[in-house]
Amino acid sequence: MRTGFAFDLDGTLTLEELLPLIAREAGLDEEIGLLTRLTIDGTLTFASSFKLRFAILKSLPFAQVQAATALARLDPEVAAFIAARPDQCRIVTGNIPQWIDPLVQRVGCGLYSSEASASETHPLAVTRLINKADAINAMRADFDRVVAIGEGANDIPMFDAADISIAYGGVHEPAAALLEVSDYVTYENRALCRLLNMLS
Amino acid sequence: MGSRMGMGVPKCLIEVGGRPIIAHLLDRLAGVADVRVVVGYDAANVIRRIKDLRRDVTFVVNPSYRMTTTLHSYVMGGAHLDAPALYMDADILFEPRSFAAFLAKAGAQPAEALIAVTEAKTQDCVYAHLDGRQRITRFSREEAGPYEWANLAWLPPGLLEEQPSAVYERLAAHLPLQAEPVVSYEMDTPQDYEQLKAAYAGFAAQA
Repeated sequence: MRTGFAFDLDGTLTLEELLPLIAREAGLDEEIGLLTRLTIDGTLTFASSFKLRFAILKSLPFAQVQAATALARLDPEVAAFIAARPDQCRIVTGNIPQWIDPLVQRVGCGLYSSEASASETHPLAVTRLINKADAINAMRADFDRVVAIGEGANDIPMFDAADISIAYGGVHEPAAALLEVSDYVTYENRALCRLLNMLS
Repeated sequence: MGSRMGMGVPKCLIEVGGRPIIAHLLDRLAGVADVRVVVGYDAANVIRRIKDLRRDVTFVVNPSYRMTTTLHSYVMGGAHLDAPALYMDADILFEPRSFAAFLAKAGAQPAEALIAVTEAKTQDCVYAHLDGRQRITRFSREEAGPYEWANLAWLPPGLLEEQPSAVYERLAAHLPLQAEPVVSYEMDTPQDYEQLKAAYAGFAAQA
């Protein structure tokens, strides 16, 4: 059986949320912090949250945003798991590729993301907002079984669509609603990777 | 679910010696790397409490716990595992030395199933009848004997299969199975809980 692994990016694969890193660049720490909290706890839908953050951040040039996200620290155990089998792994994120490209290159596996039209230096408009379930369904073309790993309310569709779902609380407590659709919950990166290795 | 205990909390969180009973179990498993806890009733609260006791526990979520038996939880806990593992209920107090002896005996012959039995004493007893070679030949709810099933077993992969029955009924399909006596106290009723607390005081005095 061929198993694919779909990893949420912010707070699952990275040891910090990306948005606050970008916000620091833009001097909007407090505002974006509020937005992040409301999104993680599910008060604000992912779609609304994404629209807001896009509106705020689209004035920043890609180079500046990429410089910020490139600094994100990766969970070393999870990154090593992916590095050992990049063909079986995908990052599934609501971010647009132009904001996170160097970080994704560093992880070294495929990407499912939202999409935006862009000029050479700036994003213009969101052309496709990701539904994470679509990413899982697309992975079915290559894999017999798909395992999803995440922590936020926007991972619920991905967990619903996956064969096995793992809520990971290594960085912060997984969204309460995510527990309803999780098969496993882990809080420690080695425990997570032990489980992933068993499933790979 | 602790409903017959009338305490309104999951049984594994009922306290003995000032700590939830699951904390005592996790002490027994301190040397075991991969510990999984199957959660159902009051899952978020149980997870929160247990992860503060031991952060590397893997929680297995059983959303249909109201409709399923403990066997279903055992099968879920062992899913995708291709190695033998120790299975147990979470509402039991084990005397530390006898638990360690059980683990050592299981580890000495890891491919063989080993079933824990204990001196019969609970209200809801499943008696385990042994032959002269300390093998379980029969389980019975009616016919009394010196031992009961202790809800602790070392099992090779594939031995437990999904079916709507109790764990001991599933084990009965594989009899005879090697037994090993342990000193343990399970709690299904307030009387069991009183026995268990008294036993804990005894263990603590020994230590």
